[in-house]
Amino acid sequence: MHERLSFYVKRDSFLHGLNPLTKLTLAFGLTFVSFISPWYWTPHFVILLVIIPLSLVGRVQREYLNAAFRLILPTTGFLFLMQALFQPIGKTVIFQFWFLDVTSESLSFAFENASRIFAMVSSFTLFLLTTHPSELMSDLTRRGLPSQFAYVIISTIQIIPQMQSKAQTIIAAQRSRGLDTEGSFLKRISALVPLVGPLVFGSLVEVEERAIAIEARGFTSTNRKTSLREIRDTGFDKFVRWLLLMIALVVVSLKIWLS
Amino acid sequence: MAIINLHQLTYHYPLTDTPALTKVDLNVKEGEFVAIIGPNGAGKSTLCYTIAGFIPHFFKGDLEGRVEVAGIETSSSTLSEWVLNVGLVFQNPFNQISGAKYTVYEEIAFGLENLGVPRDEIKSRVDQALALTGISDLADRSPYSLSGGQQQRVALTSILVMQPKVLVLDEPTSQMDPIGTREVFGVIRSLAERGITVVMAEHKMEWVAQFADRVVAIYEGRVLMNGKPREVLTSGRLVGRGFAISRYTSTAREAVERGFWPKDLELPVTLDEAVQGFKK
Repeated sequence: MHERLSFYVKRDSFLHGLNPLTKLTLAFGLTFVSFISPWYWTPHFVILLVIIPLSLVGRVQREYLNAAFRLILPTTGFLFLMQALFQPIGKTVIFQFWFLDVTSESLSFAFENASRIFAMVSSFTLFLLTTHPSELMSDLTRRGLPSQFAYVIISTIQIIPQMQSKAQTIIAAQRSRGLDTEGSFLKRISALVPLVGPLVFGSLVEVEERAIAIEARGFTSTNRKTSLREIRDTGFDKFVRWLLLMIALVVVSLKIWLS
Repeated sequence: MAIINLHQLTYHYPLTDTPALTKVDLNVKEGEFVAIIGPNGAGKSTLCYTIAGFIPHFFKGDLEGRVEVAGIETSSSTLSEWVLNVGLVFQNPFNQISGAKYTVYEEIAFGLENLGVPRDEIKSRVDQALALTGISDLADRSPYSLSGGQQQRVALTSILVMQPKVLVLDEPTSQMDPIGTREVFGVIRSLAERGITVVMAEHKMEWVAQFADRVVAIYEGRVLMNGKPREVLTSGRLVGRGFAISRYTSTAREAVERGFWPKDLELPVTLDEAVQGFKK
């Protein structure tokens, strides 16, 4: 059974101590700036001079670099290839691959997009590595997010690994009764059909039981909810959030001014 | 003074013609431990859901008669008010984990957070509840990493921490192996000793005989018997109706016919009683 169900890494760092909303604003802010900025080098600046140093401050550099090289780089690399090959823009053909023309415009477009997505996923990875999901939800609920909405998000994150493990059990049960799940791609896809029924219907029954379980624990109580965790929101947090908002406004203004 | 009052209770689930419960009368006194027994489909879970307020607040359908717990009628209360008085623990421990918390400690605090209990009080009540059910050592573990018996003890603790007046347990060990069953019944034993009002639907008669002050046998939605554990659990009226019967009772009943068990001696329910009887 999975012991670790979120990306969160428990460490004692300055970044961990920031308010969850500040870190969420930071992730959105860095993404926004990477996408809106008029300069192509902005995402690289964000990654090298903001995200990597912050991962060091948060003492999660190893986990971040691990995710960057094993997950983000392959994904954005694939995206770069697809866009470089299939984006029908530009006339300056650099080389031809089969029937596809790779132009310098499509290459720079693909590079720019892949860099932005790299910066976006990196920002949110750093956010997830340093923010406990319960703290985030408690803080957002305290600020007015409906508790039902918060519950759906957080329980979904936790239930996905459970669904995977259940799917594996069902596949094992079906295989023990002679279902062939190996062979060609089509054969493997068709083997998934008998999995869908038990998994979906089983999950629907579970949803009802889970609803009863949380109702039994006062989930729909009209009392103002409290939180076991104490979530700090310091003056520095507020300053950082306002600063990020100002930076975002400056970037938007520059974008308009330079276009 | 009865804390639970059911009067002429009849209930139909939505879109069904046959009632799940028919004219059920049941009174439970404060501090009493009542076990509900019956074959599958007899109406045990329906009765538990009714006492716990989920019928009619969660499952709609047609409810007739009166359901009253701690002086409040179910029809004049909301479910979130009702759960302050009645706690419910059911069969599948996995589905009772909220999914919203990452450690056992947080999981147990979930109900108190929902009720708006102040932080300091949450901490002291969670510590007390963990100690009561003997799972303080699991406090920092993920609820999903636990065994079935441990998860069910977490589910029980999550309800006990809310300090309900009545605890309803719907076959809490039915999906458990013998070790898990022993763990959960260990907790139930300590609750019984503390005088908490408990209504428990259960198939495992040897355990029922050890805890219950009274046993109610339900058959086809009606109360078939209501009396002292031994009187009900060894009654011939349960035979042939799909009731789970203690293996010691069945063996002794067979032994009576073959002349190994004295006819005037009461039939046993537990292992100890069987040993004593066969010695005689």
